[in-house]
Amino acid sequence: MKKKTWFLAAAAVILALTAAVDDAWAYFTTYAQAKGGYTLSLGDKTTVEEEFSAWTKHVVIANSEDSEPVYVRVKAFCGSEYALVYSDENGKWSPGGDGYYYYKDVVNGGGATDELLVKIEQVPEDVSDASRFHVVIVYETVPVLYREDGTPYADWTQKAETGKLEGGGL
Amino acid sequence: MKKCRAFFTSPKGSLTLFGLAALLLLFSSVGGARAALTYYSETYSSRVQMYNIGVTLMENGENVSWRDYTSASDGSWNEKTGELLLGMLPEGEEIKPGKKYAEELCVKNSGTIHQYVRVGIYKYWLDKDGNKLTALSPDLIRLNLVNTDTDWLIDTQASTPERTVLYYRNLLKSGETTPLFADSLTVDGMVATKVTQTKTTENGYTTITTSYDYDGVRFCVEAKVDAVQEHNAADAAWSAWGRRVSVNNGALSLE
Repeated sequence: MKKKTWFLAAAAVILALTAAVDDAWAYFTTYAQAKGGYTLSLGDKTTVEEEFSAWTKHVVIANSEDSEPVYVRVKAFCGSEYALVYSDENGKWSPGGDGYYYYKDVVNGGGATDELLVKIEQVPEDVSDASRFHVVIVYETVPVLYREDGTPYADWTQKAETGKLEGGGL
Repeated sequence: MKKCRAFFTSPKGSLTLFGLAALLLLFSSVGGARAALTYYSETYSSRVQMYNIGVTLMENGENVSWRDYTSASDGSWNEKTGELLLGMLPEGEEIKPGKKYAEELCVKNSGTIHQYVRVGIYKYWLDKDGNKLTALSPDLIRLNLVNTDTDWLIDTQASTPERTVLYYRNLLKSGETTPLFADSLTVDGMVATKVTQTKTTENGYTTITTSYDYDGVRFCVEAKVDAVQEHNAADAAWSAWGRRVSVNNGALSLE
């Protein structure tokens, strides 16, 4: 009986002492959060349109409607016995010193370059079969990059990093 | 001594002890009741000081998200969770890799008590269904952190490529705003160089299709601000954040 009484008394005291424990363990805290972002659109699909007349190739590079903006450069190859002369009406193509001609404007999705004329010179007068002449047009595009202030530029030295190859190895 | 022992072992003594314990229990709740009474007393109402904690995340000078304990004393919070980067792009414009966009972030103490704060910043990529793409690099989302030498501490132990945790070194007083912890956001132009090539062979012709790894994915920046009370800040931080900190002369440091 005595033990029981002591136990009850001790339990009451412990209960009283622990009544304030909650206050001691509770701290004022709060938080605030936010998030946001945007979807990136990358990738382009370009095509070359060529016409041949009067020993001149008329070259236009077109960018598909849903494509991202690109910069373009073009180079033409032919036999060493002939010379190629580049020109355009609006002065938007310029030689880069590496054999390529660079189009100075950004070509947006759905847009196209101005015409680049590649004239074949030193053609013999007695040529009857024009199909013997092969002038190969090579063009390259790079996605438009931006400087910190938003100015667009092309980085022709940047190489694609092919981290993955699906469907077989090369 | 014998008398005392005889008293405590007697039924009368036990009853007295029990009564004392019960009284102690009753008085332990008097504080709350007394506080309630002063709340309604016109004489003392002007002396009531509400200890409301509140914190606000600010972006480019505007309040974006906040959570402030209200003075209604009913346990309610005035809170709003906003969205970051909403006004970053003009309408119709897409994100331009390499371009630096203004993204000035800081924290305001919108409560009535002083506090210590920390910020967790998360950067990651999501696919069109909202799933996280862990193979894509958070490093290409460049949130430029500032004032990390003076006002903000980077918790290198808690930081990963995806997460950066910053602690404000000083006590943030009620109504005050911290210096910026970020000032700009840039999506690295390297996103335009990461490609995957798919090789297909049909009718003897082999076609290699190149696709951009970051095309059609969404970058996400997330900031979470945590605040704890000034008093017993080290214990509060340990309890609420699970991080040991020291506070000396008001300056917070990491242990």
